Amino acid sequence: MTRSALTALGEGAAGSLVSQQVQRRVKRAAVIVIAALVAVFVTVPVYVMVAVAIQSPTAVFADGNVNLLVTAATARNFVVLLEETNTVRYFINSLIVTASSTLLSTALAVGAGYGLTRFEFAGKTLAARAVLFAYMFSPIVLAIPLYVIFYTLGLLDSYFALTLALTAISAPFTIWLMWQYFQTVPIAIEESAWVRGASRTRTIWEVVLPVARPGYISAAIFSFAVAWNDFTMSRVVMSSEEMYTITVGASLFLDRVSIGWGETMAVSLLICIPPFLIAVFLQNYLLQGFSVGGLE
Amino acid sequence: MAREITLDTVRKEYRTAGATHVAVDDLSLSIPEGSFTTLVGPSGCGKTTTLRMIAGLETPTTGTLSFGEEDVTNLSPQERNCAMVFQSIALYPHMSVKDNIGYGLRVQGVPSDVRDERIEEAAATLQITEQLEKMPAELSGGQQQRVALGSAFVQDPDVLLLDEPMSDLDAKLKAELRVEVQRLHQELDATVVYVTHDQTEAMTMSDQVILLNNGQLEQFAPPGELFDNPVSQYVAEFIGTPSTNLLPATITRTGDRYTLEGETFSVPVPPRYFADHAEASVTVGVRPQYLSTDDGDHELEIEAEVIEQLGTEFVVHGYSGDGTPVDAVSSAFGDVEPGDEFIARFDAADLFVFDTNGQRICHGEQLTRRDEVRTT
Repeated sequence: MTRSALTALGEGAAGSLVSQQVQRRVKRAAVIVIAALVAVFVTVPVYVMVAVAIQSPTAVFADGNVNLLVTAATARNFVVLLEETNTVRYFINSLIVTASSTLLSTALAVGAGYGLTRFEFAGKTLAARAVLFAYMFSPIVLAIPLYVIFYTLGLLDSYFALTLALTAISAPFTIWLMWQYFQTVPIAIEESAWVRGASRTRTIWEVVLPVARPGYISAAIFSFAVAWNDFTMSRVVMSSEEMYTITVGASLFLDRVSIGWGETMAVSLLICIPPFLIAVFLQNYLLQGFSVGGLE
Repeated sequence: MAREITLDTVRKEYRTAGATHVAVDDLSLSIPEGSFTTLVGPSGCGKTTTLRMIAGLETPTTGTLSFGEEDVTNLSPQERNCAMVFQSIALYPHMSVKDNIGYGLRVQGVPSDVRDERIEEAAATLQITEQLEKMPAELSGGQQQRVALGSAFVQDPDVLLLDEPMSDLDAKLKAELRVEVQRLHQELDATVVYVTHDQTEAMTMSDQVILLNNGQLEQFAPPGELFDNPVSQYVAEFIGTPSTNLLPATITRTGDRYTLEGETFSVPVPPRYFADHAEASVTVGVRPQYLSTDDGDHELEIEAEVIEQLGTEFVVHGYSGDGTPVDAVSSAFGDVEPGDEFIARFDAADLFVFDTNGQRICHGEQLTRRDEVRTT
């Protein structure tokens, strides 16, 4: 990733009007500037969040200043969350709909990607374009019509409806990703399995899916991120308080007198944990899958 | 157990956007059991489609296909005892070499101890025992192809199909693997069908060659016959390196004497083949290997342009008097320099004569039947 980014910046770009020595200096300067920007806009907010979350409010706001140097860590904010709010409930709700939507979106993507690359059918190109077009919609554009649909079907305020709504946002991209990925899986390896006597189903389980693993793991990570971070759909579909996801629930904390910045930052930290774990453990797959999708 | 493969008016059409493309055009032929048969032709001639129909990966639009007495036209690839080696090699990247070779046996439910034994045997035959525990990505191109051959070998197929298995390999590896493939053929009781666009592979490896042209059978014969007795100008041009020299000529008739008149040669020919071609234009084919400097009744003036040395032989690329490109191959051309003009000699018995449609009128010995040719 970094390496190709550097190449794009002109590493060893002989034949340019600028000498290679100048290019090298420009490159080093550019890397430092970008690193600084990343530090300011990503690292600093994360640090502020952690610092506020693990100190007691009295320590942070002592003497009318905001004290961001951690002197004594405490679990006090988390305890307040557990005792006075429905955080655990929200968290579980989020986990349920995120897991279902991730599964559904990935399964759809694998099926659609396989079909789009392996079978000829009328309207295939149209279907593929429609998928990409659907990806352009912002969630709020879909939210109101989906609300109407779920209202009509009597599905509002259910895990099932939210799962479908979240999948509607992530599926266009995951389908497109798997469609690209399956194009890199040679059909000859399937044919080779058929000739050796393996049925189409067996070939899919034993040959196609293992080979496509980086692709569908990327699709799963993407749909996980969409579902976990979603606010719009959850706000529209879930109406009773005990059905809120963590994003919606946390956003309401600040309206309450008993909940302050310390607790809000603590819940933000909790929200960050699952994506962080996924990024740490699955980043290799993510990069492999996205490089095929041309997103590296 | 090797089986005869019979194609009876097999036709394959592809429909794309309203247009119908005929890939294989009513092909009928019978590939003898246990033979090594090569399907050869330029790209797009239908050879791979034919192979894929034999494997069951394509279904003929019309016609029937049988293995021995059994009609297999509508059997799926899983139901035919074929093994196939693909151009792209098609190893499973997530399985070790051993699992790749043994996959077919696993699917068939062969117990693992028998499986291991067969894998070991195949690996030993193909000299890849050291590689068994590796993953395909760790192997060189030649080793990968050996693994693919090994996978086919352990299955003990009735029919072994190879689809341009060497087209991505370098020349030296090709030469090695050619020997390997032929050894497999000797050890397996299988009918081997080999697809290639490289006529050298076809000529060196096979018992017989099927030359296709635009989905149709052009000639089906042993390699030697294709070389010495091509049925058409197409075959004469496709088979042999360098390609057969094609010289324009006319048939002249004086009384009942027929003569083949070229730029620098005049060959009396027997009337029985040329009665319908009097005063007609024809094309004379002569193989570069049959042009020599010393003997031959007829002569051809060649201006050399480029000379290539191939071991002990020299290939001269040049032009005849009327500007027709002419190649000649002989060990006697060592002294020829670019720009030299020299006389190449040939015998009437080395000629092929084709009509304007490229069909052969007669060839070789037919031209020299003493009793029929009137020279006086």
